Amino acid sequence: MSVSRRGFVRSLVGRSERARVAPAWISARGREAWVGELGSLALQDGAAPAAAEPEERTIRLSSNENPLGPSDVALQAIDGSLVYAGRYPMNAIPAIADFVALVAERNGLETTQVGLGSGSGEVLNCAVRAFTGADRGVVTATPSYEEVPRAARGRGVPVAEVPVDDAGRLDLDAMVAASSGAGLVFLCNPNNPTAAVHPADRIADTIAKIETASPETVVLVDEAYHDYVTDPAYASAVSLIPRHRNLLVARTMSKAHGMAGLRLGYGMGQPDLIARLNQWLTPFNSNAMVVAASVASLRDDAGMARERDRNTAAKQFTVEFFSSAGHQTTDSQTNFIFVNLGKPAEGFRNACREQGIAVGRDFPPMEKTHCRISIGTMEEMQRAVEIFKTALTA
Amino acid sequence: MALTRRAFVTTLGLGGAVAGGYYLSGGRLIGPWSRPDADAAVTSGARLLLHNNENPLGPGDRAMEAIHAAMSDPDLPLARYSFATGAVTTGIAEKFGCERGNILLGCGSTQILRTATEAFTSPERALVIGSPSYEECPGMAAVVNAPIKALPLTGSKHLDLDAMADAATGSGLVFLCNPNNPTATVHSAQAVQGFVDRVLSASPETVIVIDEAYHEYVTDPAYESQVPLALETPQVVVARTFSKAFGMAGLRLGYALGHEDTIDRMSAVHFGMARNALALAAAAATLQDPARLDAEALRNTEARKFTMDWFASHGYEMTDSQCNFIFVRINRTAAEFRDACATHGVLVGRDFPPYENEWTRISIGTMEEMQQAVEVFGDVLEVPAAITSAA
Repeated sequence: MSVSRRGFVRSLVGRSERARVAPAWISARGREAWVGELGSLALQDGAAPAAAEPEERTIRLSSNENPLGPSDVALQAIDGSLVYAGRYPMNAIPAIADFVALVAERNGLETTQVGLGSGSGEVLNCAVRAFTGADRGVVTATPSYEEVPRAARGRGVPVAEVPVDDAGRLDLDAMVAASSGAGLVFLCNPNNPTAAVHPADRIADTIAKIETASPETVVLVDEAYHDYVTDPAYASAVSLIPRHRNLLVARTMSKAHGMAGLRLGYGMGQPDLIARLNQWLTPFNSNAMVVAASVASLRDDAGMARERDRNTAAKQFTVEFFSSAGHQTTDSQTNFIFVNLGKPAEGFRNACREQGIAVGRDFPPMEKTHCRISIGTMEEMQRAVEIFKTALTA
Repeated sequence: MALTRRAFVTTLGLGGAVAGGYYLSGGRLIGPWSRPDADAAVTSGARLLLHNNENPLGPGDRAMEAIHAAMSDPDLPLARYSFATGAVTTGIAEKFGCERGNILLGCGSTQILRTATEAFTSPERALVIGSPSYEECPGMAAVVNAPIKALPLTGSKHLDLDAMADAATGSGLVFLCNPNNPTATVHSAQAVQGFVDRVLSASPETVIVIDEAYHEYVTDPAYESQVPLALETPQVVVARTFSKAFGMAGLRLGYALGHEDTIDRMSAVHFGMARNALALAAAAATLQDPARLDAEALRNTEARKFTMDWFASHGYEMTDSQCNFIFVRINRTAAEFRDACATHGVLVGRDFPPYENEWTRISIGTMEEMQQAVEVFGDVLEVPAAITSAA
């Protein structure tokens, strides 16, 4: 895939007729094929040649996004939903409630057990608002995903941070020990940024122990990377919801479903817990287009299997490169890897950026040794490792 | 543009697959602001959606082109956390002659109103609002356990600015919906500015949020936007939305305009990632097309006049509508009228206590839709009221 064709794209999408055609074209042939075709299409339109804008597009390996974007069925669904762009999402078809019903059905829950967020980020943010306070703090791992401690600190809520172990796994026993009297315990599984996963029985055991030690504490299990896990010992915590009134499980359409820019995530739990969460979630936070795309994408199990396989292959290629270069990675169960560079992430990141590759931000307290690298397409990773070679020796 | 027609056809063909009342689990259940009809549209298989004050034409061609361009962009804005808000905030800043620091984007003005309520009210600092008025702030006030001072409207269904000013002293937030939803009435620039002066001189810490969701539809020359006042007055914020005249209710984007310090106070409690790439693309494109807004306002004015003329000629009282909806005294309960209209495939507004026994809110669709709708209204109103409405 050529990545130096932004000039062509601009000239193309400026033409309404062609812009209207494009989504169907993508749907029929796939996004990468379309991007590959852009040059010849644009030249037929008499657009400026590539030399007019020689800049290369940055390969974004920094935010754990799906490099292919929404699937063909999702893009088709968006196109079909645009007739409802002027209607509130509850008046569109599919409506917000249709997505809620689908999530409930696929997880063996009632619709009252699902709360929607503008991405799972809003679910995490509102869990802090709903379940914590100045005298009911947050327990989280470090490093782990930052939204929960960030929201807590912004509201004067105390945060207890429990370091991960040498393999990048959450120290679940220490988190149980820290949970007494807490408002919220945040378990990111697999954990971002360390990519490590925790077996189903360990998560179940941890939730039960927290409930015993601190019955009013809410346990939030963030399963943002659920669809990328290949470890057979992993299972979603959703099946534990009937047993634990204070268990909240968060999922997102931003990762494997490729919709980070469209904003939809959800929390699942017992009805009373979801009712408390819903008080804080913004009404109508789900736009009509992402609802349509998500209904289509969530039903497309074959498409999700293809995306998982694609990610697994590109990840394996990347891990093998680092391994052969003498750099250890954690056992990644996500669409990113956590690499021991043996030196600060910052220098590596800057060296990569100069070569057109964006890699992950600092994750204290491990920023002096480790870097998070998202997995792009195989082609992107093949280009990226060439740059990693020089950046590692810089 | 044929968007609305297609939507209706599809609505007729499907429907019924909905677990109704999903949002009833949100803040709207609280107090007199419940919305039992919120999800009625799809289940009813309605033909005419005149219940949510939407723009019946949708966002328009430029917005659609921008959305399709975003879908086709190899930089994958749909898949990225890029949140390229620059084009939208720059467009807004140019529109109002302000800086980007004066702007806070939200998931519709819904999120803006909730953020303002969270930022400026508390158990010790009440919310002051007209009753009825738009329900978002009271819903959030209940969540944060802030007292709600709901002031009855005047006889002409205007906000009682004197009573609200009296109640505002020591309060955290005054919500001024101008024009007011659901009563469609507007207050002059002079009246609003006098109100602001009076509130702030007696209660300098109180914040006043002026919701101008229906700004583009106002035809009364005495009205003016209070954005200039908000930009220079730290205690005044204006809320705007792309959901109404811009026709993007399904896309979810709104914003606050205010003094940088006030915007900072709101940002401190605001969840900032609740905006999506499609809405940003569509809004940025439409901001460059002010002529479309003028055309939409004119279209609405004509369809509104047609509808109001019909009700007037049949002897029904109305408020002076400055919106894309009207507030009509139907001399029966809103529920009875609403249910009867729904059986004819026409959806009209929810209950607005304390007027729900005699008055209803009807959104203005296209002229063709209103021509169909008044036929239904005529049939429904010909039937004597089943329940004698309370005075």
